[in-house]
Amino acid sequence: MAYSELIKNFEKIRSYMRDFYVYGFKSRDDYTQKSARSYDDERRRIESWLGDCMGFRQTSGGKNVFISIDSRLQRSNPLYRAWKSCSFTDGDITLHFFIFDILYSPEVRCSMAEIHEGIEKRQQLFLQARVFDESTIRKKLKEYEAQGIVKKEKVGHTVLYSRCESCDFDFPDALMFFSEIAPCGVIGSFLLDKLPTMQTPFAFKHHYITHTLDSDILCSLFDAIDRRCSVTLEVLNRRKTPFTITTLPLKIFISVQNGRQYLMSYSEYNGRIFSTRLDNILSVKPGDVCENFEEHRQKLEDMQQNLWGVSTGRGGKVHIEFTVRCVKGEEYIFDRMMREKRCGNVVRLDENTCRFSADVYDAGELVPWIRTFICRITQLKCTNEEIVQRFKEDLQQMYRLYGIKEEALV
Amino acid sequence: MIFSELYGTYYNAVAKILSAAVERDVPLAQMREIIRSAAFEESVFEIEPAITSQRWNLISKDGKTNIEHKPTMPLTSLQKRWLKAISLDKRIKLFDVKFEGLEDVQPLFRPEDICVFDRYSDGDDYENEQYIKNFRVVLDAVKNNYPLKIKYVDRRGYASFIAARPLRLEYSEKDDKFRLYISGSRGMSTINLGRAEKCERLSENVSFTEKKTSPVSRNVTIELVDERNALERVMLHFAHFEKQAERIDDTHYRLTITYDGDDENEMVIRLLSFGPFVKVVQPERFAELIKDRLYRQLDCGL
Repeated sequence: MAYSELIKNFEKIRSYMRDFYVYGFKSRDDYTQKSARSYDDERRRIESWLGDCMGFRQTSGGKNVFISIDSRLQRSNPLYRAWKSCSFTDGDITLHFFIFDILYSPEVRCSMAEIHEGIEKRQQLFLQARVFDESTIRKKLKEYEAQGIVKKEKVGHTVLYSRCESCDFDFPDALMFFSEIAPCGVIGSFLLDKLPTMQTPFAFKHHYITHTLDSDILCSLFDAIDRRCSVTLEVLNRRKTPFTITTLPLKIFISVQNGRQYLMSYSEYNGRIFSTRLDNILSVKPGDVCENFEEHRQKLEDMQQNLWGVSTGRGGKVHIEFTVRCVKGEEYIFDRMMREKRCGNVVRLDENTCRFSADVYDAGELVPWIRTFICRITQLKCTNEEIVQRFKEDLQQMYRLYGIKEEALV
Repeated sequence: MIFSELYGTYYNAVAKILSAAVERDVPLAQMREIIRSAAFEESVFEIEPAITSQRWNLISKDGKTNIEHKPTMPLTSLQKRWLKAISLDKRIKLFDVKFEGLEDVQPLFRPEDICVFDRYSDGDDYENEQYIKNFRVVLDAVKNNYPLKIKYVDRRGYASFIAARPLRLEYSEKDDKFRLYISGSRGMSTINLGRAEKCERLSENVSFTEKKTSPVSRNVTIELVDERNALERVMLHFAHFEKQAERIDDTHYRLTITYDGDDENEMVIRLLSFGPFVKVVQPERFAELIKDRLYRQLDCGL
């Protein structure tokens, strides 16, 4: 098939874009095990959409292609462009503009015959008119009904079609803000495309944009949560092999410190609440409504008091605590602990020390945070001894990495 | 649901061409210009032939159309549902916005459907009336490029005044705070909007000087070893920076990250969080910052 800038299926481009953006060190050979042509086409498409954000580097392993974006300087998420590349047929686009030209305001109501006639009339300019039979037009109108942009009503024996009422969205400042920070923000970007182009007054720090690529999955999960129904997910495991699970979506957990999004759901199969990364989900198929949704969600909300991240663990709660010293002038450390803790307590033991403690389902999730206090940790305790042991070993390894232990011992 | 041609760049570009053609004939050069500004880099090679070969029967080669009205389309259910969802967000109060026509619309998501689990807890107070007032003044000043007189509380708790031109309003999802970048007599600096007590337009009679300075960008190069999934964790964590990555061997990678010099302390902390899987290799000055912390940790006797 000839190359086209537009695509029919988002899934393939989703993984290429993530690799180019998140990793950026893979060469053509890393991608071409399946098909060299497929890689070349996808790379060319992404270049066409994101030209200004693409970079190339020649290495001994070949040419590396990467997407490099300082999201603080980019005022709007460039990855949204991928969502605006859906392919269509010549008939689709022609019919689209004819239908909405005929149904130009909500007050205009037309029968199928009138729409058909209107389509013919609009082609008089052309030598060869495109023929649209009634079933094609009806199919398109049905599609638009499902999208909520066309409605039909029966008056006597005649079915009349009209466009749906729109609503006001001429508030570009709010749209520019929420299209960057709200879930499924790409929808805000679609709305902005309908308004005159303007410079955004906002910039964003700590702005993760990769999850954009999972917007369709997120949207389907929100829909399932709204309808309180279970879903069958096709998910990639750690070895990137797909498998399926049926589960009840309860909530979406979002990290603003690494950009990951997770589905928290209840599995009827093993009676557990567990997390699934959205970027590992390939597809979502809606299932049956679950009568006990509220009960399971309440259980998750109760658990949240003891969740540091998203891991619900397997062996119940463990206690973890660590003590840090902060001398005079370092009172901000106490404030920092208060600000950054997600559960548990922080107490000031005396003028120079404070302690964090919590009971959590997975103490391992706290380790990266505890490491950020390196230079002042005087004590670490955990009922899971392995955590303390590993923390200390890692610390020893860091000393070795920077040649510190040896120097200190001399 | 989201991936549909209705939201596509091509439909938008064609709508723009038709809008122009409804008023008067659109020459080919103008069509190309519209495509270039509204669509992708290579779109001109697809849209233009489709028009000139009359594959779409929407517009003739010489830029005429039988379309009678400027193309418009009502919002889809999905767009309305997203709007309804953001109308429930507490931050919407910052904007003077009225949502009309959404009364019967189900939100795409509700605040209780989402949990941002690692956001800092001392974010700005979006319900505070004075904060909202300040936000709107600042937003208007950024958009219209006029200087402000800002009364704010500094870090030591003292009230101060500053006359400055707001450059941009920056939001951090992690901190849940707005920071205002300003340019004043001391060059470029930032103010946390939450610390501003009052913001007002600077009177034209007040003299105002601006010293031009630019933010300082710095690089740090790290080597990482891919154990305990460190590669993916590091790459995702630093994904929002401008960066260059290369593979050294099967398990080792080198990553150069460009960061704002003002955020160096934060970078040190963020790199420390990866423990022994990340080593700062350049610049030496940055590596010393890590070493200094490790020396001090050694003293803690853990």
